[in-house]
Amino acid sequence: MTLTVDVIQLLLLISVAPLLRGIIGRVKARIQNRRGASVFRPYADLRKLFRKEDLVPSTASFLFRFCPVILFAATLAAAAFVPVLHASSLLGNTGDFILLVYLLALARFFLVLGAMDGGSSFGGMGASREALVSTLAEAPLLLGLLAIAIVAHSASIASIVQWTIARQPFELSPVHAFAFVALAMVTIAETGRVPIDNPATHLELTMIHEAMVLEYSGPSLALIEWANAIKLTLMFTLLIAIFAPWGVAASLSFFGIVIAVAAFSVKMAILIVSLAALESSVAKLRMYMVPEYLGVACALSVLAVVFTAFAR
Amino acid sequence: MAELPFNLLLVGLLSASVLALGSVRWKRALAFAAVFLICALVAGAVASLQALAYGNRPAVDLSWFAPLPFVLALDRLSAYFLLLICTVAAPVAIFAIPYVARHYDGRKQSGMWALLPLFLFSMVIVVASDTVFAFLFGWELMTLFSAALVMVDGADGERRRSIFTYLLMMHAGAGAVFGAFLLFLPHSPGLDFASLRASAPLLTNGVRAALFLLAFVGFGTKAGIVPLHLWLPKAHPIAPTPVSALMSGVMLKTAVYGFIRFAFDLLPAGPAWWGYVVLTAGAVSALLGVLFAIAEHDLKRLLAYHSVENIGIIYLGLGAAMVFNSHNAPMWAALALTAALLHSLNHALFKSLLFLGAGAIADAAHTQDMEELGGLLERMRVTGIVFLVACCSIVGLPLFNGFVSEWLTFRSFLAGGELHSVFAAIVLPLGAGVLALVGGLAAACFAKVYGVAFLGRPRSDEAAHAQEVPWAMQAGMSLLAAACVFIGVAPGFVLNLIASAVQELIPGAPAAGLSGSLVQLLPWIAASVAVICIFWLAVPRNTRVTSTWACGLPALDSRMQYTATSFSKPLRKVFSWAYKPDRTVQVLPLDQPCFPASISYRSVRTTSFERAMYRPALDAIVAAAQRLRSTQTGNVQVYLLYLFLALVAALLYMRFA
Repeated sequence: MTLTVDVIQLLLLISVAPLLRGIIGRVKARIQNRRGASVFRPYADLRKLFRKEDLVPSTASFLFRFCPVILFAATLAAAAFVPVLHASSLLGNTGDFILLVYLLALARFFLVLGAMDGGSSFGGMGASREALVSTLAEAPLLLGLLAIAIVAHSASIASIVQWTIARQPFELSPVHAFAFVALAMVTIAETGRVPIDNPATHLELTMIHEAMVLEYSGPSLALIEWANAIKLTLMFTLLIAIFAPWGVAASLSFFGIVIAVAAFSVKMAILIVSLAALESSVAKLRMYMVPEYLGVACALSVLAVVFTAFAR
Repeated sequence: MAELPFNLLLVGLLSASVLALGSVRWKRALAFAAVFLICALVAGAVASLQALAYGNRPAVDLSWFAPLPFVLALDRLSAYFLLLICTVAAPVAIFAIPYVARHYDGRKQSGMWALLPLFLFSMVIVVASDTVFAFLFGWELMTLFSAALVMVDGADGERRRSIFTYLLMMHAGAGAVFGAFLLFLPHSPGLDFASLRASAPLLTNGVRAALFLLAFVGFGTKAGIVPLHLWLPKAHPIAPTPVSALMSGVMLKTAVYGFIRFAFDLLPAGPAWWGYVVLTAGAVSALLGVLFAIAEHDLKRLLAYHSVENIGIIYLGLGAAMVFNSHNAPMWAALALTAALLHSLNHALFKSLLFLGAGAIADAAHTQDMEELGGLLERMRVTGIVFLVACCSIVGLPLFNGFVSEWLTFRSFLAGGELHSVFAAIVLPLGAGVLALVGGLAAACFAKVYGVAFLGRPRSDEAAHAQEVPWAMQAGMSLLAAACVFIGVAPGFVLNLIASAVQELIPGAPAAGLSGSLVQLLPWIAASVAVICIFWLAVPRNTRVTSTWACGLPALDSRMQYTATSFSKPLRKVFSWAYKPDRTVQVLPLDQPCFPASISYRSVRTTSFERAMYRPALDAIVAAAQRLRSTQTGNVQVYLLYLFLALVAALLYMRFA
């Protein structure tokens, strides 16, 4: 039964991922006084791309075709770590946050390699910038999660969730406050949203992710875009699971699951509406302001770790 | 019987060397030498596995040949490092067969094949020695043989300077190691490690601290921790490829071995500050090593800087283990020491693989400069794939071996949060932040290396016409790559071996490590990733080969690609405090700055240590030598006076001391 729910929540995570993108786009459009596309448009995009042919640059090696699927598989494995409906997940009971973070690193490494295989300067440019952002984001991401793990006395994500559920919402320490802000900032950087990267841009002076995937097309591009959507969903779900897990099903009854789905939807809605509001209200940072942004995240996560020593 | 494989190793190495010398007369002896060498290494691996798994302790007493006790014996720690030497050296030897044949002829061939086994022999002596004399003998030989191997490629101009730096720093380091032992010996009844170990508790705190610092500096010089790493990026890149692989992959680990022997076995239970010293050295080395690597475009020198980084990661684990030991937490000390030991093996595997790969690239494309490479993956598939494995391993990506040891290091830092001492509970978890930053930088660096060298378009004619290297070179590299993947997917086997070694060093360490969860998960993740990949590639799809998007221009050429320099520019800009580049812009003619005939730009990255630390020290030594010169008048009477004064001083000392 637990296993079934684990599989269902993984499937739920990967299937709603494009929808979340659609909703973010729609909300942003509304804030900007436009009507915007349907929230289901990302699904239509994926369907269209999966049916098209794959264009491969003549200079690319065989690795070019491997990269999207390795990216997708590693992101999928990472998604199997986060609890959604109940305080357990396929890999999150035995696996810890370090493995989760490094699976995302594996995915990113191959995306960067794929970008450099095209042989144009766009790919290299995107890869170089992605390397900068992800390098600086890695330390605050791991330190933020580490602080929570120290407080919860466990590195496995499922047990962190269980530990948090056993507490009252306002009983949490300053560690959680610092770690939350740090991780939220890192999430924005890692998933390539404004103010770090603009998913809607096609201006070579600013783009990161879009420059990396410029040479991909058809099913390969679909896989990359889907993996990217899953990554966004996964990071948000991770934030929810660690900082506000209340509402997940304690017992695996039908009623409990329904409540869990409702609670998850509400929390996710809050997060994506705030993301859309943020993206509509701030401008994208200059490339060399990104280190300062991530430096703030890093300082906050260091503070979170320092406070763990006093929060015992 | 238990000693047979170990004896075979020693005899095999020596006879391989003798055979190679004989090949000057008898050509075929060279092939025999190579076979003997590889068989000896296999026997050595068997000996060490027996010692690790069953606790065999083969011992060879060679005191008859030496003026002082000279015993080789394997305990579990020695056996683990012997395993490391043998498993890495055997594939390197296979790689060396065609390499030596291609690059050298006649006398130089036999010289290489005579020196390689001797170099390995000296390292075996170091890790297997059970007496002080044997250790120091092996330690000195190791330096000399490695320098001799570097000189096979010639020793003139810049190379001579590099080799001189190498020898100088090695002897300074060896001086500290000798000093550590000489300070220890008066307190010990015998010259073997067992009596040193027994006398350690009787030492005063001051002597212990002095011993620790001497050992730390001495072994740290050999290991290449910052700021004692200066020789490493000079000496490793200029050696012949198999030798750089062995120097970087294996020789540095003998220093790690020596340090572990000192800090965990001979002088156990040090105060916490020892651990913090080691932690700091590790953090600084890891961070600066990887930062300097990012700025390098010479492939071998870049790899040499990454050795500094990885030694730093090993020292992070060792430091954490020492801190845990001083806080009486044997379980976590064992975890951290396991991390350091496993990372030593992992680094030996992937770093020697990377050096062999760099050598293969140099053979195929005739350059080490990354800006001249590109598109090699389609031209050298096997080399390209094994090099990718090595890159993923050194970056510490899951499913490759580097991840397992970095994961263990992370977990031991996490456990630091549970210590009662507030200082330790803050410092250790922050170590994880350093490790994460280093990991991110390493990922950026190897994305650059692989992307620029193997992907995209070739940046020179030579790279465009690169040919795959001979099969034996491919085989040597493939063996190392297979080991990397094996440890990355199924680390249980090696972790069990390490657990037995750790138990000997840390009383109270658990038999099975804390790595159970990872051991369980990795095969599943590997299997599911493989299944998804196979499924995706099996589905038939329409694929069309087109040209790269060129913004509507006719075509791109290779000079339009991102280069290694441009790739690393953002990171170099962010971390410019570490590089302190010297930039000069010269506009000619000087009197017409607005209408220049030529503008030249020159940027030299200086390691600030070289300027800040070594230059004053060097100047001070030279000044002192100048001062001392005045005592050397060349006048016999003055020297007689010196003798007389020395005699009087000695007599006075004997009278009053």
